[in-house]
Amino acid sequence: MDKKYGAYICTGCEIGENLDIEALSSVAGEQGMTAKLHAALCSEAGREMIRTDIANDGVNTVVICACSPRVWKKEFSFGDDKITVRANLREQVVWSMEKPSESRNAETIAEYTNELAQDYVRMACKQAQKTDLPSPYMLEKTTKTILVMGGGIAGLTAAKEAAGSGYDVTLVEREDKLGGKALNWRKQFPTKSPYASLEQPGVHEMVKVVESDPKITVKTGTEVARISGAPGALKVTFKTAGTKNEWDAPAKVSSDDQDKMNKGQMPDPNEGLKAYMEENPDAEDFGGVVLATGWYPADVSEYEHLGYGKFRNVLTNIEFESLAAHGQITRPSDGKPVESVAFVQSPGGAENDKDFPYANFVTSAVALKQAMYVREDNSDAKAYILYQHMRTPGNLELFYKAAQDDDGIFLTKANVMQVNEEGDGSLTVAITNTLLNEDMTIQVDMVVLAAGMIPTTKKEPSINLAYRQGPAFMDLELFDGYVDSNFICFPYETRRTGVYACGGVRKATDMEETIDDATGAALKAIQAIESTDHGIAVHPRSGDQSFPEFFFQRCTQCKRCTEECPFGALDDDDKGTPKPNISRCRRCGVCMGACPERIIGFKNYNVDIIGSMIKSVEVPDDDEDKLRFIALVCENDAYPTLDMAGMRKYGLNNLVRVIPVRCLGSVNMVWIRDALSSGMDGVVLLGCKFGDGYQCHFVKGSELADKRMANIGETLGSLGLEPERVAAREVSIDDYHKIPQIINEFVEKIVELGPNPFKGF
Amino acid sequence: MSFDPDIEFIKSLKETGGDTLKKCYQCASCSVACPLSTDQHPFPRKEMIWAQWGMKERLLDDPEVFLCHQCGDCTEICPRGAKPAEVLGAIRAYLYTLYGWPAWLARLAADIKNLPILLGGPAVIILALWLLSGATHIPSADVFARYGYTQFFGHWDFKWYPKNTFFIVSIMVPAAGLAVYSVYRGIHTMWQRMSKRANIKIEFRPSFFMFVTDFLWPSLVETMKHNRFRECTANTDRVKGHLPLVLGFIGAFILTCWSAFRQDILGLIWPSFHGPLPLTDPFKTLANVSAIALLYGIWVLWRNRLALEQRGKASRTFYDWFLIWEIVAVGITGLGAELLRWAGMPTLGYYVYFLHLVSVLMLFLYMPYTKFAHIVYRTTAMCFEKYRVSAFATNTID
Repeated sequence: MDKKYGAYICTGCEIGENLDIEALSSVAGEQGMTAKLHAALCSEAGREMIRTDIANDGVNTVVICACSPRVWKKEFSFGDDKITVRANLREQVVWSMEKPSESRNAETIAEYTNELAQDYVRMACKQAQKTDLPSPYMLEKTTKTILVMGGGIAGLTAAKEAAGSGYDVTLVEREDKLGGKALNWRKQFPTKSPYASLEQPGVHEMVKVVESDPKITVKTGTEVARISGAPGALKVTFKTAGTKNEWDAPAKVSSDDQDKMNKGQMPDPNEGLKAYMEENPDAEDFGGVVLATGWYPADVSEYEHLGYGKFRNVLTNIEFESLAAHGQITRPSDGKPVESVAFVQSPGGAENDKDFPYANFVTSAVALKQAMYVREDNSDAKAYILYQHMRTPGNLELFYKAAQDDDGIFLTKANVMQVNEEGDGSLTVAITNTLLNEDMTIQVDMVVLAAGMIPTTKKEPSINLAYRQGPAFMDLELFDGYVDSNFICFPYETRRTGVYACGGVRKATDMEETIDDATGAALKAIQAIESTDHGIAVHPRSGDQSFPEFFFQRCTQCKRCTEECPFGALDDDDKGTPKPNISRCRRCGVCMGACPERIIGFKNYNVDIIGSMIKSVEVPDDDEDKLRFIALVCENDAYPTLDMAGMRKYGLNNLVRVIPVRCLGSVNMVWIRDALSSGMDGVVLLGCKFGDGYQCHFVKGSELADKRMANIGETLGSLGLEPERVAAREVSIDDYHKIPQIINEFVEKIVELGPNPFKGF
Repeated sequence: MSFDPDIEFIKSLKETGGDTLKKCYQCASCSVACPLSTDQHPFPRKEMIWAQWGMKERLLDDPEVFLCHQCGDCTEICPRGAKPAEVLGAIRAYLYTLYGWPAWLARLAADIKNLPILLGGPAVIILALWLLSGATHIPSADVFARYGYTQFFGHWDFKWYPKNTFFIVSIMVPAAGLAVYSVYRGIHTMWQRMSKRANIKIEFRPSFFMFVTDFLWPSLVETMKHNRFRECTANTDRVKGHLPLVLGFIGAFILTCWSAFRQDILGLIWPSFHGPLPLTDPFKTLANVSAIALLYGIWVLWRNRLALEQRGKASRTFYDWFLIWEIVAVGITGLGAELLRWAGMPTLGYYVYFLHLVSVLMLFLYMPYTKFAHIVYRTTAMCFEKYRVSAFATNTID
């Protein structure tokens, strides 16, 4: 497009008082843009000034030098056909000004701050010159049918809700009938005020509703063999449950594996299966998937002191439930009706504070429910609940109170030390550290262990994708086998776009929460389909029209992008060149950061844009005090953290020039080279926490950046540059009080090292 | 230790004012709020879980149950509405019947269902003795004015021991004796159990004198001063009721002693000492003041209890009300009989006096098993509280 620039400098919000506005205007002038001033650019009058320029002068690329790009987004957006670029003079310049001290007086600070502001204006102008307008990526045809995998409470709800929203749904269930595990419950938790008594299971009614819905196709006794394609255009092959099929999803074969296979050093793990890129002509078309494959009861036999597997009257909670569902509760050893049951909620023993894994709150609530079964079968019976943690969120608290009020239900925090069997099959439970302040032995007919709920994804791929990165979800170990890509920020969202998890596969949870969960997942699937239909990103960059474009002529088929994409968006084409599936893509730019040939980029975010911005910073080569640093900052958490530090006026180092990036994973190492070769003294990357408890919005971005930085450090060393000049730091959104210090520490270290020896070359 | 919760015990507590006991979730706010709870022996949190788990045995030898003055600070603060003060009251009620002897009488006195028997029994006894005495007639106005009720059971010429005194003593002394024996048994067992639970090895036993000076007397002084009642912050009115009530009882006790001395000893020498006390007698003044104090005190406590119940901070229990009713009955019939004597209304006066005798007999007879028992059990617990930290109970050599 033919660009016509308009630069605008706001003098409100302390900008005018603290900065030399004339100098800023002339910086814009150097870039060929005449800057206009306004005391409140965000006001109606200020925006009207810009709109007038657009209408009268044909301005189509607007440079706003004012507040953070994170605020007034809508106000400074002038339509899909206009480009807006922002320079953050408020939060990160005038609000982050250093306070005068002994080592630096107000005059010097003003000088340094003005240089910072001028660099930001330069960078914004450069960004405006390099940015292009994105246009959405459109599929030829978007299929809108939704596949729901799993016919339990979660799947039934998701199918019902999606159908209710007007979408065609296919519900597949491995078993012969719908209903899942809930078919075997005697009763369910209360769902109505006063939340005190158990209810008859509602699953049967749910099954009826789904089976009679004309928009829902039910396939029982069926499994998904493979899913290929991309959201909006998924190809799904079904098969009879429990059978093998040539269309079963093939296992992952990495580039190294492929090499070995080619050399005959390794057998093909996918012998007899169709290749993952092959298309099944009989496959059915779908737009998105709701994964509701549920959970497995956890194995508790590892806790030897509890006697599971050794004593017949030691059961798991799910075994007890099916016993209770079939009538009066009797001891498995001799059929004697139970008079006392101990519900053990935590393994106890040495590591006594831990609960059984995958318990969440469910096992607490289930123990309360089952204790009520014991009491309703026999009014003289006793139920002991021995817990380390009793978790009853929401209205379950009222249920807990109701159970506690029962004369025959006895609750105490306790370490269960040992379960022993007596001659008659009854059991003794030795407990210590109780609320009764004494060690006790309780004699019971039965012991019930609170086995947790293990997501199916921990044991098997469940989703069976025919993707380059393999059939299963990736990096499951980061979150104990659960598939969420970011549990807190993006619920339901898995690490595969277009696939949304709910119910037991997403979280150990109860029916009520599962129903909420499944409704949410159904809506997310709909959102994915509709976003794909509009050619925009689903999440977390919802509505983003840009997408990665590849200049394949220069591709060396190194497959780094294919391997590193956190969402498996890239497959191989017939020749082994990466084949992007744009509707799987989340626009994080990890592929762009990975590509050594720099052939991947977005219209409004690419190697050239950021590189040019870096190079536009003025680097004084004769002043030992005026060192220059680039901070490449993740725009999801670290950049807002900097803004928050500004709002609190903590003061930021004025030698550092901040550039927001979509994800640290999108940082191409060439930018670091650009920075150092233009004489800058150091580069710091600020991104999200990674590893256990990661906060990266794109799962692996900051971790990848960290690895790449380690590699580049070696390269720098070979050039005679200290590896310390480049660093990556983890920042979380609430670190705003720490971030000035994090940056200062980095800068101080470089100051000690001295200026970049290549300065001025 | 191995144990088996007593569900029946839990049920019975729930029926006698402890209906909220299962609500406790062991946050221990109550033990913090309680002004009487100490760092070494905090309560009532532990009593709550013992009660929840039906651990009767633990409560039987727990002095704290009796140290509680039921002021209700814990109930006010309880986040779960578990009303620990009421639960402890229910536990005490249960323990009185458990310690009480004979057991059948203890059980009888603990249940509102037995109220007809509880009332009827003493009424029949008094009536029977009245019939037996042969004095079954209403006196003339003259006789009534002169002798009042001192010839209720008639008169004989054996001047060393008046017939009326004989009959009253033969009713009240066995009743009081039974009560004394019953509570003695009770506190004896309780003391033994508490000592055992507290792991006190008795190597040095305090002499009776030392027991009185070191433990009993300070406890009585404390009781009289109402120090512990005054610590309460939620329910401060009770001192205003309980103190006059206690003083009223003491007054009545002194009067009874003086009356016996006057009638039975001095009357032998000066026969004119037989008959009702003249108004000029300072003891008569004491008697009247005591009666008024007693009635005032019980009126305050009545209203207090009612207000608590209306605010939902207490349950309506037979245990609490029976004692209130009994005291009201004693006070009103006593004062009423006196007023009727002055008014010269023998018939009505005799009826009221009859009821007075019935209510006094009830008070004596049921003392060990009803809330009234707290005067001995709480005093014992207060002695024990001092005893367990004394050199007798702590091994100072180790």
